[in-house]
Amino acid sequence: MTDILPRPEAPAEARPASPGQRPRAAAQGSTIERQRRRLLVPFVGPAFLFYTVLFVVPAVAAVWISLNAWTGSGPMTFVGLQNYTAVFQDPLYLKSFGNTLLILFVVGIVIFVLAFAMTLLLRDMAGRKIIRSVIFFPHLVNALVFGILAGFVFNPGGLVNTLLRPLGVTSPPAWLAQDNLFPLIMATLVATSTGYFTTILMAAVDRIPPYLFEDCALAGATAFQRLRHVILPLTWDVFGTCAVLWTISSIKIFEIIWVFGGSSGSGIPPTQSWTTAVYTYVTAFSGMSTPAYGAATASAIISLALVSVLVILLRRLMHREAIEF
Amino acid sequence: MTAPAKPRFAPGRASQTLVERSPLRTVGVAALWGIVALSIATLLWMVLQAFRDTRSILGDPWGLPTSADPTNFIHAWTSSSFGLATLNSVLATLVASAVTVGLAAPAAYYLGRIENRLTGFLSLYFILGLGIPVQVILIPLFVMLDRAQLTDSLLGLNLAYIGLAMPFNVFLLAAFFRSLPLELEEAAALDGANAFSTFVRITLPLARGGLVTAFILQVIGNWNETLLALTLLQSTEKYTLPVALISFLQQQTYSGADWGGLFAGLCLVVFPMLVVYLWLGRRLTEGLTMGMSK
Repeated sequence: MTDILPRPEAPAEARPASPGQRPRAAAQGSTIERQRRRLLVPFVGPAFLFYTVLFVVPAVAAVWISLNAWTGSGPMTFVGLQNYTAVFQDPLYLKSFGNTLLILFVVGIVIFVLAFAMTLLLRDMAGRKIIRSVIFFPHLVNALVFGILAGFVFNPGGLVNTLLRPLGVTSPPAWLAQDNLFPLIMATLVATSTGYFTTILMAAVDRIPPYLFEDCALAGATAFQRLRHVILPLTWDVFGTCAVLWTISSIKIFEIIWVFGGSSGSGIPPTQSWTTAVYTYVTAFSGMSTPAYGAATASAIISLALVSVLVILLRRLMHREAIEF
Repeated sequence: MTAPAKPRFAPGRASQTLVERSPLRTVGVAALWGIVALSIATLLWMVLQAFRDTRSILGDPWGLPTSADPTNFIHAWTSSSFGLATLNSVLATLVASAVTVGLAAPAAYYLGRIENRLTGFLSLYFILGLGIPVQVILIPLFVMLDRAQLTDSLLGLNLAYIGLAMPFNVFLLAAFFRSLPLELEEAAALDGANAFSTFVRITLPLARGGLVTAFILQVIGNWNETLLALTLLQSTEKYTLPVALISFLQQQTYSGADWGGLFAGLCLVVFPMLVVYLWLGRRLTEGLTMGMSK
């Protein structure tokens, strides 16, 4: 996924040479080349159509909807940027936005530190394949499952409290109290996402040729020097990719919040643990109040803007001269 | 952490000479195995609880089932409509994934093989979708499908999944096609095969591994997708498994907890993924990390 942002300059050799300077050797391939080009519509057309109608058109429509006051039925009223100023004055949205930022940065940093530490540990550890297989699996499981399980693990008569009782903890904290939910959610996210990023980082570290490590050993480099001068520079680009990946996926976090700790009576999670994705869904579809499609979409567009800015910043920040090895 | 005193330069033992022994490392190694044990125990515990009734689960969360009584599964499958939901999930998952790969593969082939200004623009056009969070298109897509009478329908859900999956699949498969050698295609062209039959008879069979990986990744994604399904489906008989699970959870606040049934439902969500993982594990991790370490 290094190509998330445009990299317009393809290597010159890969481009079809202009007719005047076409080398003779390429002339043979020109028939199939020309035939291939005729396949543009039948090959790219269907994917283009599906993608445009079902993804691009809704995305563009979202920008328009966010500029209108609309309940979903009836007329739309153009209100300009009012939805945006309104959500930023809505304490619920500010809370959701804050939570999203907490997940993005705090959970993100913890995941990366842990994943990198685990990668270093696993590099030459016995049983690394088994461990890698096990820690990767949560990535394939719907986050709903972790949210529901947490409800059972932390409920008053649940696993954690029955474990604490013999240790003399008679009045354990109310884990699932509304104010405690969000920290628990953050911890659960760390526990279930770290394995995925560890797997990616491991693949990157494995690509470092072993002779570099042997050189380090011969030169008497300390573990820290090896980390600083060999491992980090050679995996830097993968770190950047992982950071982009986390940014994009963390902004969509919804289902684990929706069910975490079991369901409250109304079916909507307590507002203390909302993220912007939850805010968007509830504002449009909860059925509790008049749906406000404009405000809901404005909240989603702000998330998109956040992702875009962060991805561009990350690309700038993490960009280094690629090291060939 | 000085270099080991004993010379160990025998080939093949190189990696051993690099293993450091420090207390920190010992703690870390122990912690890693602890995590592994905890993960497996959690999975096992979830399965075991699915065989117990709610009262005994609540009475002693650490207890083991007394018999392999599948009551919870039967009950969940029939009266909690997890059965129908599983069927819906299978449909939404397999159809959408197959169509996605079927549409994305030729497009990715074209964009991966031909480089000019137009394909550069088209690749960018597809890739931009990777960064758009699903909640942005949630409301417009709902309105659009609603006007076409495609909400509360598996067809509509499938369509939404296909559109949403295009960027990633085109991106993944284009990278994959680029990695295939050109020689065989050129040979086929010299033998007089036209571009279309070269693609069908030479490239596609060569690309089978990549296509299967893309398909499986899509299956996993669609099987677990929740937000769109929750938005687009309204009637119980259309629910996919995650939506059915949420609705089951919400009913509990009125009809009393049915933890046994809930654990059975969780098993239904997790099990197919476990099977796929045990079956295709290596290919999956490679697919999910492919192109990222490059």
